[in-house]
Amino acid sequence: MILKNNLKEVRQKKGLTQEELGANVGVSRQTIISIERYRYKPTLELAMKLAENLNIKIEKLFYFEQE
Amino acid sequence: MLLSKKEISILIEIVYSIVFALIFLPYFYENQEKTLILMDGLVEKIIQIIICTVIYFAIAYSILEVAFKKKETRDERDDMINSKSYKLGYLLYEFSLFIFIGYVCSKFQNKELFNLTGNLELYNSFQLTDAGIVFIVLVLLAFISVIKSLYQFYLYRTV
Repeated sequence: MILKNNLKEVRQKKGLTQEELGANVGVSRQTIISIERYRYKPTLELAMKLAENLNIKIEKLFYFEQE
Repeated sequence: MLLSKKEISILIEIVYSIVFALIFLPYFYENQEKTLILMDGLVEKIIQIIICTVIYFAIAYSILEVAFKKKETRDERDDMINSKSYKLGYLLYEFSLFIFIGYVCSKFQNKELFNLTGNLELYNSFQLTDAGIVFIVLVLLAFISVIKSLYQFYLYRTV
């Protein structure tokens, strides 16, 4: 199973840039890019911060996909 | 290829390690058969290394700060990358320490050659001076530092 996310879609829907979202949750723009490209798996703390900031349930933002 | 402030600071470290190795290591290489007390201009060389290091980093980081005025956030991704690269550096240190100890032991063991063969030339070729030890340690430090920083740079580009 691969951990995937809807971060890019949800962020764009909310009209936020990677820079703004990063600043809101206290991480760099590069970290947001890495998460959106599935290169980096965030910690539970960051995942919850992202979900809270984007006003979405964490399980809607991050989900498992069969390989 | 656009580089972030963190990536450029890693490149500054890599350049420093390579320049240090190219400029200062030949001095220690040439004098490795002497003892440290007998090395010509050792104190001057150490002072030179310290001054050059301070000037290099002061200039490099000042330029970096001017070029990237915005402060970059340090976050969990940086911690993950740092821990991975320092782990590699630590493993390399550990591995090279074993090799180094083995090398020193073999040098000491070869003193027996003189007792057995009485061949002074052979004995001298296996001599290990404190300057020789310093040279090997510096080479290892420079090499491991470059590998660690390159790996860190690679992780910043790919993770």
